[in-house]
Amino acid sequence: MQALYESLLRLFPRSYRRQFAEEMIAVFREVDADARKMGNIVTAKFYLREITGLFRGAIAEHAQRILGSPAPFPLSSRRFTMRSGFRFPKTTALLMTVILAGIILAIQKAEEISAALPRDIAPAGPMWAPHVGILTTIVLTFLMVYVAGALGWIILFALRRSGVHRLSDMPTAQRD
Amino acid sequence: MNLPPLTEPVLLILLSLAEQPRHGYSILKDVEEVSAGRVVLSTGTLYGALRRLLDDGWIERFEENDASRGRQAYRLSPKGRRTLQAEVTRLKQLTRVAGLRAVRKEA
Repeated sequence: MQALYESLLRLFPRSYRRQFAEEMIAVFREVDADARKMGNIVTAKFYLREITGLFRGAIAEHAQRILGSPAPFPLSSRRFTMRSGFRFPKTTALLMTVILAGIILAIQKAEEISAALPRDIAPAGPMWAPHVGILTTIVLTFLMVYVAGALGWIILFALRRSGVHRLSDMPTAQRD
Repeated sequence: MNLPPLTEPVLLILLSLAEQPRHGYSILKDVEEVSAGRVVLSTGTLYGALRRLLDDGWIERFEENDASRGRQAYRLSPKGRRTLQAEVTRLKQLTRVAGLRAVRKEA
C-alpha cells in the first residue's frame, strides 16, 4: 500500500512534493500501523480515505497553482481564497472578452447561414454512414475527447500565462 | 479582525496547535480526539491545509529538537493565534445568542 501511496504522491506539483512528501509518507506509515492494529475494516476505511484524500489534494494543489484558487479543496474556507484587490489581471479579462465575442459572432454567423438556406431542402441523413464500424466510432470518439482535452489544456495554459496563478503567491499581509 | 468563519477542520487544526507545537501525526490524532471522532483527516487533506496555513502565515514550521527523529513540527504564529482568538470570540457570541433564543423558545 505504501508503494501505491508514494506513486499517488507524484500527482502533486513538484514543489509541494519537495516540501511535504517525505513527511506525508512518514505520517502515513504511523497511521497505517495504528489502523492495522484495529482490524481489516478500519484499515480498509483508512486506505480509502487516504486515496481519495490524495486525489482531492492533488487536484486542489494544481488548481491553486494554475488558477490561484483552491476551489475543489474540501477544507477551503473562503478566507483562504479572498483577495482584497482586483482578482484577475487585465489580460485575463481581455482574454475572456475575446472568447465571449468569438462565441457571439459564431452564433450570429450560424443564424445568417440558416436564414440563407432554402426552406425546401431535404432533411439531412444520419451523421454516420451505416458502414462505419464500431472501431472507427471508438477512434473518432477518442479523437474528439483528445481534442477537447487539448482545448482545455490550451485554455488553462493561456490563463497561466496571463499571470492569474501569481495571485496565489501574494503575501498574506496584502490580503488583510 | 473581521474575517469569514473558519471551516471546522481548519479550526480544529489551529486549536490543536494552540495547545502546543505538533508534528503531522500528532495533529491528526488530536483533531480526531477533540472532535470526538467526527473529523478524521487524511494525510492529503491535512498537508493541503497546513500548506495553506503556512502560506497565510498562521502557522510556522520548524525542526523538532529531537534530532534522532528529524521530524518537522508546526506551531501557531502570533497572527494565527490572533485569528483563532477572533474565531473563538465569534463562536462565543454565536452560542450566547443561540442559547438565549433557545431558552426563550422553551419558555
